[in-house]
Amino acid sequence: MNAVFTLVFLASAMLCLVMNPDGFLDALLSGGQKTVTVSISLIAVYCVWFAFFNVLKESGLSEKLTRLFYPLSRKLFRSNDKEALYLATSNLTANLLGLPGAPTPLGIKATEKFYAAKNRYAADMLFVLNATSLQLIPTTVIALRASHNSAAPADILPATLIATLFSTILGALLVFLTSKRIRIRKRK
Amino acid sequence: MKYFSLVVPVLFILVFLFALFKKVKLYDSFTAGVKESLPLAFSLFPYLAAILMLSELFEKSGLSEMVTSFLSPAFRFLGIPPEIAKLVLIKPFSGSGSTALLNEILTAYGADSYIGRCACVSYGSSETVFYISAVYFASVKYKKLLKPVSIALFANFVTVVFGCFLCRFM
Repeated sequence: MNAVFTLVFLASAMLCLVMNPDGFLDALLSGGQKTVTVSISLIAVYCVWFAFFNVLKESGLSEKLTRLFYPLSRKLFRSNDKEALYLATSNLTANLLGLPGAPTPLGIKATEKFYAAKNRYAADMLFVLNATSLQLIPTTVIALRASHNSAAPADILPATLIATLFSTILGALLVFLTSKRIRIRKRK
Repeated sequence: MKYFSLVVPVLFILVFLFALFKKVKLYDSFTAGVKESLPLAFSLFPYLAAILMLSELFEKSGLSEMVTSFLSPAFRFLGIPPEIAKLVLIKPFSGSGSTALLNEILTAYGADSYIGRCACVSYGSSETVFYISAVYFASVKYKKLLKPVSIALFANFVTVVFGCFLCRFM
Protein backbone atom coordinates (compact mmCIF):
# COMPACT_ATOMS: atom_id res chain seq x y z
CA MET A 1 0.00 0.00 0.00
CA ASN A 2 2.86 2.37 0.81
CA ALA A 3 4.44 1.74 -2.58
CA VAL A 4 1.17 2.19 -4.48
CA PHE A 5 0.35 5.36 -2.58
CA THR A 6 3.78 6.90 -3.10
CA LEU A 7 3.94 6.00 -6.77
CA VAL A 8 0.45 7.16 -7.75
CA PHE A 9 0.65 10.27 -5.57
CA LEU A 10 4.02 11.46 -6.84
CA ALA A 11 3.26 10.67 -10.49
CA SER A 12 -0.07 12.52 -10.29
CA ALA A 13 1.49 15.46 -8.44
CA MET A 14 4.26 15.82 -11.02
CA LEU A 15 1.78 15.67 -13.85
CA CYS A 16 -0.25 18.38 -12.12
CA LEU A 17 2.87 20.52 -11.87
CA VAL A 18 3.28 20.47 -15.64
CA MET A 19 -0.31 20.48 -16.82
CA ASN A 20 -2.41 22.22 -14.20
CA PRO A 21 -0.69 23.44 -10.99
CA ASP A 22 -3.92 24.92 -9.59
CA GLY A 23 -5.68 21.60 -9.88
CA PHE A 24 -3.40 19.95 -7.30
CA LEU A 25 -4.79 21.51 -4.17
CA ASP A 26 -8.30 21.42 -5.63
CA ALA A 27 -8.07 17.66 -6.10
CA LEU A 28 -6.77 17.10 -2.55
CA LEU A 29 -9.44 19.33 -1.05
CA SER A 30 -12.21 17.64 -2.97
CA GLY A 31 -10.81 14.30 -1.77
CA GLY A 32 -10.96 15.64 1.78
CA GLN A 33 -14.49 16.84 1.22
CA LYS A 34 -15.47 13.39 0.01
CA THR A 35 -13.85 11.83 3.09
CA VAL A 36 -16.07 13.91 5.33
CA THR A 37 -19.27 13.11 3.45
CA VAL A 38 -18.40 9.42 3.12
CA SER A 39 -17.51 9.20 6.82
CA ILE A 40 -20.80 10.73 7.84
CA SER A 41 -22.78 8.37 5.64
CA LEU A 42 -20.69 5.48 7.03
CA ILE A 43 -21.60 6.49 10.58
CA ALA A 44 -25.26 6.37 9.54
CA VAL A 45 -24.86 2.93 7.98
CA TYR A 46 -22.93 1.57 10.98
CA CYS A 47 -25.57 2.89 13.40
CA VAL A 48 -28.21 0.80 11.67
CA TRP A 49 -26.23 -2.39 11.25
CA PHE A 50 -24.39 -2.39 14.57
CA ALA A 51 -27.73 -1.99 16.30
CA PHE A 52 -29.18 -4.87 14.29
CA PHE A 53 -26.18 -7.14 14.83
CA ASN A 54 -26.14 -6.44 18.55
CA VAL A 55 -29.77 -7.54 18.83
CA LEU A 56 -28.89 -10.59 16.73
CA LYS A 57 -26.00 -11.39 19.08
CA GLU A 58 -27.92 -10.91 22.34
CA SER A 59 -30.79 -13.03 21.08
CA GLY A 60 -28.38 -15.95 20.71
CA LEU A 61 -29.31 -16.31 17.06
CA SER A 62 -25.82 -15.47 15.85
CA GLU A 63 -24.41 -18.34 17.87
CA LYS A 64 -26.86 -20.72 16.23
CA LEU A 65 -25.93 -19.46 12.78
CA THR A 66 -22.25 -19.90 13.54
CA ARG A 67 -22.78 -23.45 14.68
CA LEU A 68 -24.63 -24.14 11.45
CA PHE A 69 -21.81 -22.88 9.25
CA TYR A 70 -18.98 -23.93 11.54
CA PRO A 71 -17.82 -27.06 9.66
CA LEU A 72 -17.67 -25.14 6.40
CA SER A 73 -16.22 -21.86 7.62
CA ARG A 74 -13.61 -23.61 9.77
CA LYS A 75 -12.15 -25.19 6.65
CA LEU A 76 -12.47 -22.10 4.51
CA PHE A 77 -10.66 -19.87 6.98
CA ARG A 78 -8.51 -22.46 8.78
CA SER A 79 -9.56 -21.09 12.12
CA ASN A 80 -11.19 -22.34 15.33
CA ASP A 81 -12.11 -18.95 16.69
CA LYS A 82 -15.91 -19.11 16.92
CA GLU A 83 -16.42 -15.37 17.32
CA ALA A 84 -14.21 -14.52 14.34
CA LEU A 85 -15.84 -17.22 12.22
CA TYR A 86 -19.27 -15.87 13.10
CA LEU A 87 -18.22 -12.40 11.98
CA ALA A 88 -16.67 -13.73 8.77
CA THR A 89 -19.64 -15.91 7.79
CA SER A 90 -22.10 -13.13 8.54
CA ASN A 91 -19.97 -10.83 6.39
CA LEU A 92 -20.21 -13.28 3.49
CA THR A 93 -23.96 -13.74 3.97
CA ALA A 94 -24.56 -9.99 4.09
CA ASN A 95 -22.52 -9.70 0.88
CA LEU A 96 -24.53 -12.37 -0.91
CA LEU A 97 -27.80 -10.75 0.11
CA GLY A 98 -26.47 -7.38 -0.96
CA LEU A 99 -27.42 -5.68 2.33
CA PRO A 100 -26.02 -2.21 1.71
CA GLY A 101 -23.26 -1.33 4.14
CA ALA A 102 -23.74 -4.34 6.40
CA PRO A 103 -20.69 -6.41 5.36
CA THR A 104 -18.12 -3.71 6.15
CA PRO A 105 -18.33 -3.49 9.96
CA LEU A 106 -18.43 -7.29 10.21
CA GLY A 107 -15.47 -7.63 7.87
CA ILE A 108 -13.38 -5.09 9.78
CA LYS A 109 -13.99 -6.86 13.09
CA ALA A 110 -13.31 -10.32 11.63
CA THR A 111 -10.05 -9.13 10.04
CA GLU A 112 -8.99 -7.64 13.37
CA LYS A 113 -9.67 -10.93 15.15
CA PHE A 114 -7.92 -13.04 12.50
CA TYR A 115 -4.86 -10.81 12.64
CA ALA A 116 -4.83 -10.93 16.45
CA ALA A 117 -4.72 -14.73 16.18
CA LYS A 118 -1.87 -14.39 13.67
CA ASN A 119 -4.06 -16.05 11.06
CA ARG A 120 -3.12 -14.02 8.02
CA TYR A 121 -4.47 -16.71 5.71
CA ALA A 122 -8.00 -16.17 7.03
CA ALA A 123 -7.71 -12.39 6.82
CA ASP A 124 -6.43 -12.58 3.24
CA MET A 125 -9.14 -15.06 2.28
CA LEU A 126 -11.89 -12.88 3.72
CA PHE A 127 -10.51 -9.79 2.03
CA VAL A 128 -10.15 -11.46 -1.38
CA LEU A 129 -13.67 -12.92 -1.17
CA ASN A 130 -14.96 -9.43 -0.43
CA ALA A 131 -12.80 -7.71 -3.02
CA THR A 132 -13.87 -9.98 -5.87
CA SER A 133 -17.53 -9.08 -5.45
CA LEU A 134 -19.95 -11.57 -3.96
CA GLN A 135 -23.15 -9.67 -4.59
CA LEU A 136 -25.63 -11.95 -6.36
CA ILE A 137 -27.86 -9.21 -7.73
CA PRO A 138 -26.08 -6.05 -8.91
CA THR A 139 -28.87 -3.69 -7.85
CA THR A 140 -26.98 -0.49 -8.75
CA VAL A 141 -26.32 -1.65 -12.30
CA ILE A 142 -29.87 -2.79 -12.89
CA ALA A 143 -31.27 0.50 -11.56
CA LEU A 144 -28.87 2.49 -13.77
CA ARG A 145 -29.77 0.44 -16.85
CA ALA A 146 -33.46 0.96 -16.19
CA SER A 147 -32.94 4.72 -15.92
CA HIS A 148 -31.20 4.63 -19.32
CA ASN A 149 -34.26 3.06 -20.95
CA SER A 150 -32.78 -0.37 -21.38
CA ALA A 151 -35.15 -2.83 -23.07
CA ALA A 152 -34.36 -5.44 -20.41
CA PRO A 153 -32.43 -3.97 -17.46
CA ALA A 154 -31.88 -7.34 -15.77
CA ASP A 155 -30.67 -9.26 -18.81
CA ILE A 156 -27.00 -8.73 -17.88
CA LEU A 157 -27.66 -10.81 -14.76
CA PRO A 158 -26.49 -14.20 -16.11
CA ALA A 159 -23.23 -12.82 -17.50
CA THR A 160 -22.54 -10.81 -14.33
CA LEU A 161 -23.33 -13.79 -12.14
CA ILE A 162 -20.99 -16.09 -14.05
CA ALA A 163 -18.24 -13.45 -14.05
CA THR A 164 -18.65 -12.75 -10.33
CA LEU A 165 -18.57 -16.43 -9.47
CA PHE A 166 -15.53 -16.85 -11.66
CA SER A 167 -13.61 -13.99 -10.02
CA THR A 168 -14.45 -15.15 -6.50
CA ILE A 169 -13.37 -18.72 -7.17
CA LEU A 170 -10.22 -17.55 -8.92
CA GLY A 171 -9.36 -15.24 -6.01
CA ALA A 172 -10.00 -17.89 -3.35
CA LEU A 173 -8.01 -20.43 -5.32
CA LEU A 174 -5.05 -18.06 -5.60
CA VAL A 175 -5.06 -17.37 -1.85
CA PHE A 176 -5.19 -21.10 -1.22
CA LEU A 177 -2.42 -21.95 -3.69
CA THR A 178 -0.03 -19.21 -2.59
CA SER A 179 -0.35 -20.24 1.04
CA LYS A 180 0.27 -23.87 0.27
CA ARG A 181 3.43 -23.20 -1.64
CA ILE A 182 4.85 -21.31 1.31
CA ARG A 183 4.11 -24.25 3.54
CA ILE A 184 5.84 -26.75 1.30
CA ARG A 185 8.88 -24.54 1.05
CA LYS A 186 9.10 -24.31 4.82
CA ARG A 187 8.88 -28.06 5.20
CA LYS A 188 11.81 -28.60 2.88
CA MET B 1 -36.89 -7.76 -8.40
CA LYS B 2 -39.86 -6.63 -6.29
CA TYR B 3 -39.31 -9.34 -3.72
CA PHE B 4 -35.79 -8.19 -3.20
CA SER B 5 -36.85 -5.07 -1.32
CA LEU B 6 -38.60 -7.31 1.21
CA VAL B 7 -35.34 -8.89 2.41
CA VAL B 8 -34.25 -6.16 4.81
CA PRO B 9 -37.57 -5.47 6.59
CA VAL B 10 -38.34 -9.18 6.90
CA LEU B 11 -34.87 -9.79 8.32
CA PHE B 12 -35.32 -7.08 10.96
CA ILE B 13 -38.80 -8.25 11.93
CA LEU B 14 -37.78 -11.90 12.26
CA VAL B 15 -34.68 -11.16 14.31
CA PHE B 16 -36.46 -8.69 16.59
CA LEU B 17 -39.34 -11.10 17.19
CA PHE B 18 -36.90 -13.87 18.01
CA ALA B 19 -35.02 -11.53 20.37
CA LEU B 20 -38.30 -10.62 22.05
CA PHE B 21 -39.03 -14.31 22.49
CA LYS B 22 -35.60 -14.72 24.11
CA LYS B 23 -36.43 -11.82 26.48
CA VAL B 24 -33.80 -9.45 25.11
CA LYS B 25 -34.39 -5.81 26.09
CA LEU B 26 -34.62 -4.48 22.56
CA TYR B 27 -34.11 -0.79 23.29
CA ASP B 28 -31.04 -1.38 25.45
CA SER B 29 -29.57 -3.84 22.99
CA PHE B 30 -30.21 -1.54 20.03
CA THR B 31 -28.54 1.48 21.64
CA ALA B 32 -25.60 -0.58 22.89
CA GLY B 33 -25.00 -1.61 19.29
CA VAL B 34 -25.13 1.94 17.96
CA LYS B 35 -22.49 2.96 20.49
CA GLU B 36 -19.86 1.02 18.54
CA SER B 37 -20.46 2.85 15.28
CA LEU B 38 -18.70 6.14 16.08
CA PRO B 39 -15.34 4.72 17.21
CA LEU B 40 -15.19 2.54 14.11
CA ALA B 41 -15.93 5.44 11.78
CA PHE B 42 -13.25 7.50 13.54
CA SER B 43 -10.64 4.77 13.21
CA LEU B 44 -11.36 4.49 9.47
CA PHE B 45 -11.12 8.22 8.85
CA PRO B 46 -7.37 8.58 8.09
CA TYR B 47 -7.36 5.63 5.67
CA LEU B 48 -10.45 6.89 3.89
CA ALA B 49 -8.89 10.33 3.59
CA ALA B 50 -5.70 8.93 2.04
CA ILE B 51 -7.45 6.72 -0.50
CA LEU B 52 -10.06 9.29 -1.50
CA MET B 53 -7.51 12.07 -1.94
CA LEU B 54 -5.36 9.73 -3.96
CA SER B 55 -8.19 8.67 -6.26
CA GLU B 56 -9.21 12.29 -6.76
CA LEU B 57 -5.64 13.26 -7.61
CA PHE B 58 -5.26 10.26 -9.91
CA GLU B 59 -8.26 11.34 -11.93
CA LYS B 60 -7.94 15.14 -11.89
CA SER B 61 -4.22 15.22 -12.70
CA GLY B 62 -4.98 13.47 -15.97
CA LEU B 63 -2.81 10.52 -14.99
CA SER B 64 -5.74 8.12 -15.28
CA GLU B 65 -6.36 9.45 -18.80
CA MET B 66 -2.72 8.91 -19.72
CA VAL B 67 -2.55 5.40 -18.31
CA THR B 68 -5.83 4.59 -20.05
CA SER B 69 -4.61 5.67 -23.48
CA PHE B 70 -1.31 3.93 -22.85
CA LEU B 71 -3.03 0.67 -21.93
CA SER B 72 -5.90 0.68 -24.42
CA PRO B 73 -4.02 -1.23 -27.18
CA ALA B 74 -3.33 -4.00 -24.67
CA PHE B 75 -6.96 -3.85 -23.52
CA ARG B 76 -8.18 -4.11 -27.09
CA PHE B 77 -5.96 -7.12 -27.60
CA LEU B 78 -7.61 -8.80 -24.60
CA GLY B 79 -11.08 -8.02 -25.93
CA ILE B 80 -11.89 -5.15 -23.57
CA PRO B 81 -13.47 -2.26 -25.53
CA PRO B 82 -11.21 0.82 -25.12
CA GLU B 83 -14.27 2.87 -24.21
CA ILE B 84 -14.53 1.11 -20.86
CA ALA B 85 -10.78 1.05 -20.12
CA LYS B 86 -11.08 4.04 -17.81
CA LEU B 87 -13.88 2.36 -15.87
CA VAL B 88 -11.70 -0.73 -15.35
CA LEU B 89 -8.90 1.50 -14.10
CA ILE B 90 -10.96 3.69 -11.74
CA LYS B 91 -13.02 0.91 -10.18
CA PRO B 92 -10.32 -0.34 -7.74
CA PHE B 93 -9.96 3.18 -6.31
CA SER B 94 -13.42 4.59 -6.04
CA GLY B 95 -16.97 3.30 -6.00
CA SER B 96 -18.64 6.67 -6.56
CA GLY B 97 -16.18 7.58 -9.32
CA SER B 98 -16.82 4.37 -11.20
CA THR B 99 -20.59 4.68 -10.79
CA ALA B 100 -20.39 8.14 -12.36
CA LEU B 101 -18.30 6.72 -15.20
CA LEU B 102 -20.71 3.86 -15.80
CA ASN B 103 -23.48 6.43 -16.00
CA GLU B 104 -21.51 8.40 -18.61
CA ILE B 105 -20.82 5.29 -20.69
CA LEU B 106 -24.48 4.28 -20.65
CA THR B 107 -25.48 7.80 -21.70
CA ALA B 108 -22.96 7.87 -24.53
CA TYR B 109 -23.40 4.39 -25.98
CA GLY B 110 -26.79 3.22 -24.69
CA ALA B 111 -27.55 0.57 -22.09
CA ASP B 112 -28.18 -2.23 -24.59
CA SER B 113 -25.12 -1.68 -26.78
CA TYR B 114 -22.19 -4.08 -26.61
CA ILE B 115 -20.03 -1.44 -24.91
CA GLY B 116 -22.79 -0.63 -22.44
CA ARG B 117 -23.26 -4.28 -21.57
CA CYS B 118 -19.52 -4.84 -21.17
CA ALA B 119 -19.37 -1.82 -18.86
CA CYS B 120 -22.26 -3.17 -16.77
CA VAL B 121 -20.77 -6.63 -16.40
CA SER B 122 -17.30 -5.25 -15.60
CA TYR B 123 -18.76 -2.90 -13.03
CA GLY B 124 -20.99 -5.54 -11.47
CA SER B 125 -18.40 -8.28 -11.19
CA SER B 126 -15.51 -6.27 -9.75
CA GLU B 127 -14.96 -4.41 -6.52
CA THR B 128 -13.22 -1.33 -5.15
CA VAL B 129 -10.09 -3.25 -4.16
CA PHE B 130 -7.97 -0.40 -2.78
CA TYR B 131 -10.89 1.10 -0.92
CA ILE B 132 -11.84 -2.23 0.68
CA SER B 133 -8.24 -2.97 1.61
CA ALA B 134 -7.92 0.45 3.25
CA VAL B 135 -11.10 -0.08 5.25
CA TYR B 136 -10.82 -3.77 6.18
CA PHE B 137 -7.24 -3.60 7.37
CA ALA B 138 -7.62 -0.16 8.98
CA SER B 139 -7.57 -1.40 12.56
CA VAL B 140 -4.68 -3.82 12.01
CA LYS B 141 -1.09 -2.92 12.80
CA TYR B 142 1.82 -4.27 10.73
CA LYS B 143 -0.43 -5.25 7.87
CA LYS B 144 0.88 -7.14 4.87
CA LEU B 145 -1.25 -6.11 1.93
CA LEU B 146 0.84 -6.85 -1.14
CA LYS B 147 -0.30 -10.43 -1.61
CA PRO B 148 -4.06 -10.10 -0.98
CA VAL B 149 -4.32 -6.83 -2.93
CA SER B 150 -2.46 -8.17 -5.95
CA ILE B 151 -4.54 -11.36 -5.95
CA ALA B 152 -7.76 -9.36 -5.80
CA LEU B 153 -6.65 -6.98 -8.56
CA PHE B 154 -5.55 -9.85 -10.76
CA ALA B 155 -8.79 -11.81 -10.24
CA ASN B 156 -10.87 -8.72 -10.96
CA PHE B 157 -8.95 -7.94 -14.12
CA VAL B 158 -9.15 -11.47 -15.51
CA THR B 159 -12.87 -11.34 -14.79
CA VAL B 160 -13.30 -8.14 -16.82
CA VAL B 161 -11.65 -9.89 -19.77
CA PHE B 162 -13.85 -12.93 -19.22
CA GLY B 163 -16.98 -10.77 -18.76
CA CYS B 164 -16.42 -8.86 -22.02
CA PHE B 165 -15.97 -12.20 -23.74
CA LEU B 166 -19.28 -13.44 -22.27
CA CYS B 167 -21.07 -10.28 -23.48
CA ARG B 168 -20.42 -11.26 -27.08
CA PHE B 169 -22.97 -14.02 -26.97
CA MET B 170 -24.96 -13.60 -23.73
